[in-house]
Amino acid sequence: MTMSTTPLTPEIVSQDGNAMVLSMGPQHPSTHGVLQLLLEIDSENVVKAEPEIGYLHTGIEKTAEGLFWTQAQTVIERMDYLAPSSNALCYALGVEKLLGITDQIPERAQTIRVLHMEMTRIASHLVWLGTHGIDLGAISVFFYCFDLRENILDLQEATGGARMHPNYVRVGGLNGDLPDGVLAQLDALIEKFPGRMRELRGLLQANPIFQDRTIDVGVLSPEDALGWNVTGPSLRASGIAYDVRKAFPYCGYETYEFDVPTRTEGDAYARFLVRLDEMEQAMRIVEQARRRLDRPGPVMIDDPKVAAPPKETIALSMEALIHHFKLMSEGFRVPPGDVYQAIESPRGELGFYIVSNGENRPYRVRTRPPSMYNLQALKGIAPGNLIADLVVMIGSLDPVFGEVDR
Amino acid sequence: MPSTQIPPITGAAIDPPSLRPPIGDAVIERIDPQALRARLEALKADGFTMLLDLGAVDYLTRKPRFDVVYHLLKLPARAASVSEVGTPVRMRILCGVDDGQALPSVMDLWTSADWAEREVYDLFGIVFEGHADLRRIQMPYDWEGHPLRKDYPMRGPERERSPRPAFANKSNVVAGTPPSGRTLAALQEQVKRVRAQDDKTP
Amino acid sequence: MAVSPGGFMLARLDDVARWAQSSSVWPLTMGLACCAIEMMSVTSAEYDIARLGSEVFRSSPRQADLMIVSGRVAQKMGPVVKRLYDQMADPKWVISMGACASSGGIFDNYAIIQGIDTIIPVDVYVPGCPPTPDGLLYAVNLIQQQIREGGRGGILARS
Repeated sequence: MTMSTTPLTPEIVSQDGNAMVLSMGPQHPSTHGVLQLLLEIDSENVVKAEPEIGYLHTGIEKTAEGLFWTQAQTVIERMDYLAPSSNALCYALGVEKLLGITDQIPERAQTIRVLHMEMTRIASHLVWLGTHGIDLGAISVFFYCFDLRENILDLQEATGGARMHPNYVRVGGLNGDLPDGVLAQLDALIEKFPGRMRELRGLLQANPIFQDRTIDVGVLSPEDALGWNVTGPSLRASGIAYDVRKAFPYCGYETYEFDVPTRTEGDAYARFLVRLDEMEQAMRIVEQARRRLDRPGPVMIDDPKVAAPPKETIALSMEALIHHFKLMSEGFRVPPGDVYQAIESPRGELGFYIVSNGENRPYRVRTRPPSMYNLQALKGIAPGNLIADLVVMIGSLDPVFGEVDR
Repeated sequence: MPSTQIPPITGAAIDPPSLRPPIGDAVIERIDPQALRARLEALKADGFTMLLDLGAVDYLTRKPRFDVVYHLLKLPARAASVSEVGTPVRMRILCGVDDGQALPSVMDLWTSADWAEREVYDLFGIVFEGHADLRRIQMPYDWEGHPLRKDYPMRGPERERSPRPAFANKSNVVAGTPPSGRTLAALQEQVKRVRAQDDKTP
Repeated sequence: MAVSPGGFMLARLDDVARWAQSSSVWPLTMGLACCAIEMMSVTSAEYDIARLGSEVFRSSPRQADLMIVSGRVAQKMGPVVKRLYDQMADPKWVISMGACASSGGIFDNYAIIQGIDTIIPVDVYVPGCPPTPDGLLYAVNLIQQQIREGGRGGILARS
């Protein structure tokens, strides 16, 4: 097999004068996964940082080309593993656009999707906050964060059947309605959240050590942020209030009331504050979605060509049986065409460029990975900082390597 | 509603984007490789501050074979509120390019094109002229072939020949057996012996 | 072990050593993919791997006893995993966490190594995509059991 056994030492970083080349990662506790940084350093100062990615390249885009439209969602969900449902939703919305069924998705399905998205956003930011805390030596934050995250994962497990990759959002709606008891669980979470949020803020926000480590570290100006293609909380911390939920609403986000938190400093502390504010705004959306969930209704599109008929009809109706068999054995076909669909994932604008040639499998699924572009900005902000600050910068950009490498 | 069961398109000239009226997700433009650079420069000057994404599609039997797709977004390059951002213009530029044909790099216009172009080069083998540092990004440096091409086998060309990567054999540890060299059978035997001894001791 | 009437506890040195060894299996901090997040959950208050004495995640392979391969191993990462394993001091154990690490899982493609047992020896496989934290705790339990029952890697291994 064509595989290199030698460690990676390409002549990327020039070596002259007092400079020294240091390799950080790919197994390093603060790189949030499998990132390698080739650093050119002059004493403690970083002269040049060259991130080396690809250590988690999974070939998801290639694998998706060999699966049915619905099956492809399973692998796509494993890209951004901190917010699995947002990958699935973005892909599903894209396929729905190609099918031309966007406005036929039941309202309840859209509401539950929004609920799910915002809960994933909170869960994802909690993992970010916990690990960011650990990177800076504040271990206890991690325990607070993961405790709250467990509550959200319990809800996901109850609705989708799995803690992390529920594959709950489907093309055409959802895989089943919310089971009994979930709403009560959700109410309990809504009640618990504000208190826990106060604790989280209390632990870090005014902490002088935390402020010392993050303020004026890794500053991204608005122009640089755009040039490096940074989106999401990192862009909003630089002052540009671009949020796909507001700019290109999907799933009825235009009917929810929420603010887009922004800061103008553009440093690691600003990104921290924006994400904390965003968690509170996400909870605001969850509360509004919760109020709309008292009305029952369908959660899957009523189109046997896309959605499997209800299980109980299969034994009674020949037609339902045939539809079910066709869908399970060869999937549905999607009209030829291409579409770009974007959503606001916890990390920024997650986009899918999907090409169909009319077959029952996607011809090409190209992801616009927010993490990859956000991480690339490290090349711009790292030089001139101390090595110790690198950890802060990587953490504040919040990369997820499943998505960077795909 | 109209049926979604449209018969599959057969034949060589597969070009889905041209077969169907656009869905209205972006302003779409198709450009020749020669005119690409000038057009992108003009768009950049026109306020498309963000090169959102750069990807490629392989239409194996079509001429030209690949489509390189540029997604642009028009955002103000200064602090802006939600209402100032509004609904920014999205633009999608498709550029047909043949196998072996190079495209001009846009890394100097948008710094973010750096990794995106490297990825297209790595996975499709499309060369970007003028890129400062065009090398593989996702696959190991000595990898052969470009995996996302349609004629690249899903499992890789080498897999059938050897399920075990070559580097696995290059260390002092033999994979599959524990470092002590004891196999499972020997282990079970040992456990049995220890247990028998334990029974005997009071 | 037996407690004598005088309040003394009698045990074979071997058993005591194994007991101590099995209660302090320190894992290597090596997160790969989705499973790494569940590996982190294991250390949280809800699951608390400290009950098993394995909460001390070591960043250096020289100080670690247990490698938890948490997630898919890409072709580029394979040599790194292999090297980390070689750097760990004997006795060492490996848990293959999740479907991807055990067999390639749903990613039967060019990019993923189809099971890490093709490159390093594995002691315990944990099924799931990703496995629940309970699953991982059980795997650590199995490793402990293996040590106590005189499996490989004991300090005073008998021939």
